[in-house]
Amino acid sequence: MLRKATPRILAVSLVLALTLLLVATAAAQGAPVERLRIGILGDESTLTPYTYVTGYPGWNLLLLQYDTLYQLDLDGVPQPWLATGATVSEDGLTVTIDLRTDVTWHDGEPFTAADVKFTYDYFRAHPEAGRFARDLRPLSAIEVTGDAQVTLTLTAPSPSLALGTLADVPILPEHIWAAVETPAEHDFGGVNIGTGPYKLAEYQAGQFYRFVANEAYFAGAPLVKELVVVQFADDAGSLAAFRAGEVDMLVRSVAPEQIELLKAQEGVTIAQGPLFTTQMLNYDIGRTPFNRLEVRKAISLAVNRQDLVDTIYLGAATVGSAGWIHPASPYFNPEVVTVYDPEAARSLLDEAGIVDSDGDGIRELDGEPLTFELLVNGGDSLRLRIAELVHEMLLQVGMDAQVAAVEQGTWEEAVWPGFDVTQGRNYDMAVWGWSASVQADPIRISQLVHSDPALGSLNLTGFVNERADELSAQLNSETDPAVREQLLDELQLIIADQLPFVLLLYPDGAYAYRASVYDGWAFMNGQGIFHKLSLLPETARP
Amino acid sequence: MLSQARGGRAVQYLIVLVVAITLNFFLPRLMPGNPLALLAGVDVGLLKPEERAQIIEGAGLDRPLGEQYLRYWGDLLQGDLGYSYRQKRPIVDLLMERLPWTLLLSGAALLLSAVVGIITGAISAWRRAKAIDLSLLWTMIVINSLPSFWLGMLLIAVVAVQLGLLPSFGAVTPASGYSGWAHVVDVLRHAILPVITLSVISVPDIYLTMRYTMLGVLGEDFIRTARAKGLSERRILFAHVIPNALAPVVTVLTLRLGYAFGGAAVIETVFSYPGLGRLIFEAVSGRDYPVMQAAFLLFTVAVLLANLLADFLYPLLDPRTKAA
Repeated sequence: MLRKATPRILAVSLVLALTLLLVATAAAQGAPVERLRIGILGDESTLTPYTYVTGYPGWNLLLLQYDTLYQLDLDGVPQPWLATGATVSEDGLTVTIDLRTDVTWHDGEPFTAADVKFTYDYFRAHPEAGRFARDLRPLSAIEVTGDAQVTLTLTAPSPSLALGTLADVPILPEHIWAAVETPAEHDFGGVNIGTGPYKLAEYQAGQFYRFVANEAYFAGAPLVKELVVVQFADDAGSLAAFRAGEVDMLVRSVAPEQIELLKAQEGVTIAQGPLFTTQMLNYDIGRTPFNRLEVRKAISLAVNRQDLVDTIYLGAATVGSAGWIHPASPYFNPEVVTVYDPEAARSLLDEAGIVDSDGDGIRELDGEPLTFELLVNGGDSLRLRIAELVHEMLLQVGMDAQVAAVEQGTWEEAVWPGFDVTQGRNYDMAVWGWSASVQADPIRISQLVHSDPALGSLNLTGFVNERADELSAQLNSETDPAVREQLLDELQLIIADQLPFVLLLYPDGAYAYRASVYDGWAFMNGQGIFHKLSLLPETARP
Repeated sequence: MLSQARGGRAVQYLIVLVVAITLNFFLPRLMPGNPLALLAGVDVGLLKPEERAQIIEGAGLDRPLGEQYLRYWGDLLQGDLGYSYRQKRPIVDLLMERLPWTLLLSGAALLLSAVVGIITGAISAWRRAKAIDLSLLWTMIVINSLPSFWLGMLLIAVVAVQLGLLPSFGAVTPASGYSGWAHVVDVLRHAILPVITLSVISVPDIYLTMRYTMLGVLGEDFIRTARAKGLSERRILFAHVIPNALAPVVTVLTLRLGYAFGGAAVIETVFSYPGLGRLIFEAVSGRDYPVMQAAFLLFTVAVLLANLLADFLYPLLDPRTKAA
């Protein structure tokens, strides 16, 4: 019996092995996955352009259902998407956009140029969806100028048009939205009609979303047929569910100390790469001692950025460039050097006459010790640890930055009262950070440094520099990419030299997923792996 | 006399309600932080001043505080709780979606902890200073000092992640398509861990109340009389001791019923359970004033009603207190 059975077992094993091999190759070739479950934190409401809650991942979920005229490729560069291309007039004020003719809405209606005009007009007439109305500010008018063509008239040449407008504003169907008067409160009955790769099939508040693939998607059918997006209340909960195999991917970047632990677990893959979020030191340049350039320079020289990356982020971060732009960005100026040299910091202060005259280890400036408050939002444990290490590093050069951990709202109000820089600022020094969107568009560097609040809406440190004003004003209207790059290069050098803030580091994105369930994830430079393209076949990605 | 006392009680409750609603209106507005960030979305710094003004105006936040307050009362009396800043959905809908889950969790936990607390409390008192009493007492004191989130996380790590016996989060399996019995079983499986956590941390209070009052009853003259009459121990326990010891325990339970509407913010968060407690947690961290106000209002009313119920039940259980 035994002898007889052996060949049969062999045969069965062989068949099994072959099947597995076939399955494996099929997966590698991008055969559709029936179902993928991913975890997010918090509720994103009904996911219309007027109700989604967060910039990430809310906007990304929104854009699973809707499309934009341009779409960022994996390098973060906008490429034609619902559009086929655009031509800009000599004076930069007229932009003609040609559109695809093979796109249909989820309900089968054809997508037309009229929809694009309707959408742009609608967002401007109903500015409650702040982000999209803001995106459309450069626009003075939009007209349908052909069967599949629209023409935009701009108030001024806009270098960010493709990135900030065309690749950001979701296009809405006129036949649905024309009748909507109060978009934020309108009840669409849970059905959002878009052109995107996914349709929202089910929403249970506080629990989950279920999306189904739009098989007729113009760029190609998505690789995952059903996408379940589970809402968790906190990090610990989502991590436990991921470990237990109840979700297959976490949309939020994994905390540094979890990366190695997760990697050690069988079947878990971590996609790691640069993110354009920042950790930095802000200070009020209007106050002593930060009005002294020597002090700002000494601070920048005294912080050991590599140590912060290694100690706090366990290596999962990139050392900050003093010139603001991430080294992985195509706009990074390699001439910018960022130095750690506490000895140089000490001699710089000595030469400026800022010395410790009473022997308590803290230097004095005009008789006042260099003692100030270092404000941090205590709820963010990584930031708190940054503040504690920075305190020690500055102590080495004779400055006493006393860490004050406060609640998020208090911290925000002190650094950025009313989210309006015209209202001034109420802090000495603070650990601060900007979301990825501020760096993804290099033009926004001007908002960080321009001294006029109208342009420098993110200038939280009160930085004033004539040359920086000139360059950033020019940057906002320059349409020649080569000139723009020169302006950006010079601005980075000015920032590294004049230090409107001290950039510490850029945390890396680290996203956990199970490759056995779905392996199509693609890292978009500076933005992570959760975006529309990750769910589309490689041939469909621009 | 009696009806006058009741009338006085009703006025008292009404005053408490008005004060609570007033506090409820002002407290969120005294919190640090600016709701503009939430109203305007992520890139709040890019708003032009007129756009800021428009948003603030749209939410009625530019009005004098007094006017906002009066308007709040007006809406409240019409049953309008307003819209969530954050989710832009009617708050009544948000509360109604969450309430059943919270009641399921809290109700089951209340029942379970009542049964366990009363039985163990009775055993402890009946066997006072014996080994079983001391070990129960020690166990309860240890449990009482456990942080609830820690217990929840421990259960998740062991039962859900290590052993894979039960789901680690949520009220149902997401997008399972279950219906009928399969759905009921799914809901129960998801409720087990949070209910156990919630029950375990609630038991000591009930146990201690039961043990303490029963010890008091055991020392009463009528128990000695019963013993002298030669009644069986069992008869004494069930016919005389327990019924007389229950009144304070019922009061504790009734008040807990009121708090049950508040959900258990910590437990619901640890288990990502879609209840009211988690809604509050999210509203507070997102400074969603209208949702905070509505949820706190609901709790206030629930706690007041529970108090009223306790006031009403106590004389029935303990006729001696009727005169008061």
